[in-house]
Amino acid sequence: MNKKNIPQMAGAALIAAFAIFPFVYSANDYPYIMHILITGFFYAILASSWSMLAGYAGQFSFGHMGFMGIGAYTTALFSHYLYLTPVPTNLCTEFPIGDMYLIILDPIGITSSTLTQDCLRQALDIWDGSVQVTPMPVWLGIALGTMMGGIFGLLIGLLVLPLRAAYLALFTLGFSEILRATVSAEIAVTRGQAGIELPYLFDNGITLFGHQFDKTDKLPPYFAMFFLLLACLGILTWLAKSKFGLFVRALREDEDAAAALGVNTVRYKVLVFVITSMMAAAAGAMMAHYIRIISPNNLIILQMSLVVAMAVIGGVEHFVAAALGAILLEYMLEYLRNSFEIGPIVVDMTTWRLVVFGILLMLTLRFSPKGLLVPMIDYFKRGHVRKETMAKRNAENTP
Amino acid sequence: MEFPVFFWAALGWMMFWGVLGSIATRYVYLHKDLDTSSTRLLGSMMGAATGPIGLVPLWIKTPEITTRLIIFATLGTLGVFMTAFALADPGNLCVTNGSFVASQISNGVIIGIIYGFMALGLTLIFSILGVVSFAHGEFYMIGGMVTYFMTTVLFPEVTPIVGIAAACILTFMLGALFERLFLTPMYDGRVDRPVEYGILITFGLAFTLQYFVQATVGANPVKAKRFFDFPRLRLPSAEDPWLIKTSRGNMELFETISISNPRFTAAVMCILVFIALMYFLRHTWTGKALRAVSQDRQAAAIAGINPDRMNMLAFALGSMIAALAGAMLVQAFSWLPQVGAIPALRSFVIVVLGGLGSIPGAFLGGIIVGLVEAAGTGCIPDPQKAASYIPAYGMIVLTLTLLLRPTGLLGRKFASGTHGKF
Amino acid sequence: MTNLVVHDLHKRFGGLQVLKGVEFEINGAELIGLIGPNGAGKTTLTNILDGAIKPNSGTVYLNGVRIDQLAPYQVAKVGLGRTFQVTRSFRRMTVLENLYVPAMALDRGYSKARIAEKAMEILEFLTIDHLRNEYAQALSGGQQKLLELGRLLMHDPEVIILDEPFAGVHPSLMEIIYNYINRVNESGKAIILISHQMDSIFTLCKRLLVLNGGVLIADGPPDEVKRDPTVIEAYLGTDEDEDMHHDAQASQA
Repeated sequence: MNKKNIPQMAGAALIAAFAIFPFVYSANDYPYIMHILITGFFYAILASSWSMLAGYAGQFSFGHMGFMGIGAYTTALFSHYLYLTPVPTNLCTEFPIGDMYLIILDPIGITSSTLTQDCLRQALDIWDGSVQVTPMPVWLGIALGTMMGGIFGLLIGLLVLPLRAAYLALFTLGFSEILRATVSAEIAVTRGQAGIELPYLFDNGITLFGHQFDKTDKLPPYFAMFFLLLACLGILTWLAKSKFGLFVRALREDEDAAAALGVNTVRYKVLVFVITSMMAAAAGAMMAHYIRIISPNNLIILQMSLVVAMAVIGGVEHFVAAALGAILLEYMLEYLRNSFEIGPIVVDMTTWRLVVFGILLMLTLRFSPKGLLVPMIDYFKRGHVRKETMAKRNAENTP
Repeated sequence: MEFPVFFWAALGWMMFWGVLGSIATRYVYLHKDLDTSSTRLLGSMMGAATGPIGLVPLWIKTPEITTRLIIFATLGTLGVFMTAFALADPGNLCVTNGSFVASQISNGVIIGIIYGFMALGLTLIFSILGVVSFAHGEFYMIGGMVTYFMTTVLFPEVTPIVGIAAACILTFMLGALFERLFLTPMYDGRVDRPVEYGILITFGLAFTLQYFVQATVGANPVKAKRFFDFPRLRLPSAEDPWLIKTSRGNMELFETISISNPRFTAAVMCILVFIALMYFLRHTWTGKALRAVSQDRQAAAIAGINPDRMNMLAFALGSMIAALAGAMLVQAFSWLPQVGAIPALRSFVIVVLGGLGSIPGAFLGGIIVGLVEAAGTGCIPDPQKAASYIPAYGMIVLTLTLLLRPTGLLGRKFASGTHGKF
Repeated sequence: MTNLVVHDLHKRFGGLQVLKGVEFEINGAELIGLIGPNGAGKTTLTNILDGAIKPNSGTVYLNGVRIDQLAPYQVAKVGLGRTFQVTRSFRRMTVLENLYVPAMALDRGYSKARIAEKAMEILEFLTIDHLRNEYAQALSGGQQKLLELGRLLMHDPEVIILDEPFAGVHPSLMEIIYNYINRVNESGKAIILISHQMDSIFTLCKRLLVLNGGVLIADGPPDEVKRDPTVIEAYLGTDEDEDMHHDAQASQA
């Protein structure tokens, strides 16, 4: 058996394992484990796309969670403010589309439940159940969120073109902080810290494999997130193997030299921002529909730190390793959640686990800067290189 | 706001001419074979201030770009902006109430001095190590936490100086230890990309420190007691104290400007430490060695200075400065493990605005950012929104700086990892 | 046939006039040496030809295409390639990947197999084929220089600017570089060679350009240039032989 193929086979085995896991596992903590895995996949998408941006292209952006938030908030606002009705409300802003009316709700913020009612609710009261209101399809919101992520990725990508290293990191960190500030401040529209609620990913349930699943079941979102992860990894692999991967690595190493050899560095730098931002936005939009609430707390620096730490510990220059690192660390974070007692002292692990995590990040950077998984992959994939070099050298030395 | 449409229209007009001015002026100067280094800044400011009225003569005459011209245009832009704001929102406190404005300005300057002081630590670290420390905010937080525990919880009887000193010593040692353990591989090519390594490792330190403090102290806000009370002052006389009037926690000048005690103490302390630091940098051997390393590392090494030890000293000193700023401000704000994020971001903004590696630039930038934040929080009509937007004000300044004058106000070089000078 | 026309180039940085009306023309597969004392404007000229900086006035045409206002990657596509004074290999990419970058960037429609074959052929010629899967940073300084030259072969431009190809190279590798230059030249490419090593310049080049203070003070065959009084005064000093000898030694050291 060829040693070089071992990582590929391990990867295939892992995919198969994740695909059949929900069917064979049946312990009591099934929903909890499934939840961890779904969250793990979500972080895996973010970590692997960030590793493409930072590890492959060398653009150390700390705005990745901002793009995630753009995706999540786009679909949240879309599903929260837009509805279709067969008759006009005459209260809301509305446009006829075919034989339906597109209703745009008026933003009233978090006072809505007690005091003022939004225009659609008022209309519903008048109609008294005689009219069926259709919410917007979830998939359309996710698609729009992804697109919006791409648009913002393009803008930010163009803005940061002349910036390198620390300047880039600062600017993108600032971008996500502005986003968080805006979302917290514009309470009327985004409901601020209270967060905005979203419909289920599969609001009417779904039939899969001849089995009817309820909207609260974990299996459909599990596979939705899993396939999104596979799609992202597939796209990333394809990009890395094509000239795109070659060029972004070249411009990471030396932008001027790459340009002198005919690489359109501007185009590839912007493109890598757009693609990775779209992935982050797609993951964010889907995750928002799964946890069904998005608030500015999902955009704090801690979240970005988690993604960075996962990617670095897995291997920042290898997106499969980054994705695996994310799943493993998400599991580890949950596993470490259990507090314990030493005599009279209660050790609250909910916070201490993050300290452990931070120390692990620093130690990995210091002693294994390629991450913990990449050296293993390299052992199989690049083991022959040294031999090749030495063989030639030995042949030269023994005439 | 009474006439928001007017305000946004005016802003749009200014932005249009500003963008046009920055692009076209550069083009004109390049075409006439002239120095283009400040054309972006001047063109945009001139465009925003005067529109075509100022731009056209500028393009025709293309005068040499002097600092005076730039300041003139910038003040013009500010003036137009403020006029537009005043016309759009005539009922705003910032427009109607002179003493409110005076208070905001003086408070902006005072808090700006503290900001600038904190940013100074970042500049110090950057100019010696070439690293932007992402853990700067956490050192600030720890400085405050240690001082809180020393002065309020553990030894409420002793003078606050002890608490501040403890914070300084602890963070100095922490900084030195971290530098020895984690930053040394950067210097000798043991890591592939030293600048990125520096960003990530300090980012990791920030994360670790923040959650370490949260795990040990808890996530509830704490507040330190006031370090000292103002003596009771009534000048010129007790009956008619228009010049100065103090209570224990507040000082009122000219019956208009009101300054709170903690901020005032903090600013005075920062200025004193700053003077001491300047003396250290200019008149002691170690300080001179630090400056030498920041200017030319190799030459300094040949002259017998050990750059490695200077790295350690700079990181420890820079972190200590952040902690000192935190120690001073813990009496003014309530303190949380997460409290460092916004000041850290603000320090980055100040350092870029002032010019990476420039000490006077850090102070100037600090005061400007302090004023911008005071204006933002004071003048935006909805106070809750105004407070939420605090991190955004600095970012607007940062974006404008990077677009118009990437070298910063007093910086000499714009680069990734190029060391600044001070 | 290759045709590079440089017309009346002026460039200044702030108050400093770096190039003052540089003009020359290259026709066909010439092998040209560009020399001049430090600060003469050689690097500025190279950067303008390459598109990295724009001139204040003047034009550059390569095979009828105006290139002085193009971005570097566009200039590369028109057909001008260069090496850098300080070696700039893509350090954390393998040797083969280093060679694939220009081949893919210029996209001449070759198949992957064809590109790989050509890359291997070039590596064999440069005698670093056994290192093909090593990361470039594992190579010695001289080998990295060879790699940079190999990248240029993959790029296959009409005009090649070699900036100090001999600096810091072990004597055993010098011969490979000599062969390289001759081979490329014989395949019909024009080469501009910038070097402080006079003996190499005089051995290889049939035409010399001398730049001093931003002005092209001489243009002609080496023997003629050597005797040119302005060149001797401006660049070589009074005692030409000794100075040149000294210069060559200094750059070798």
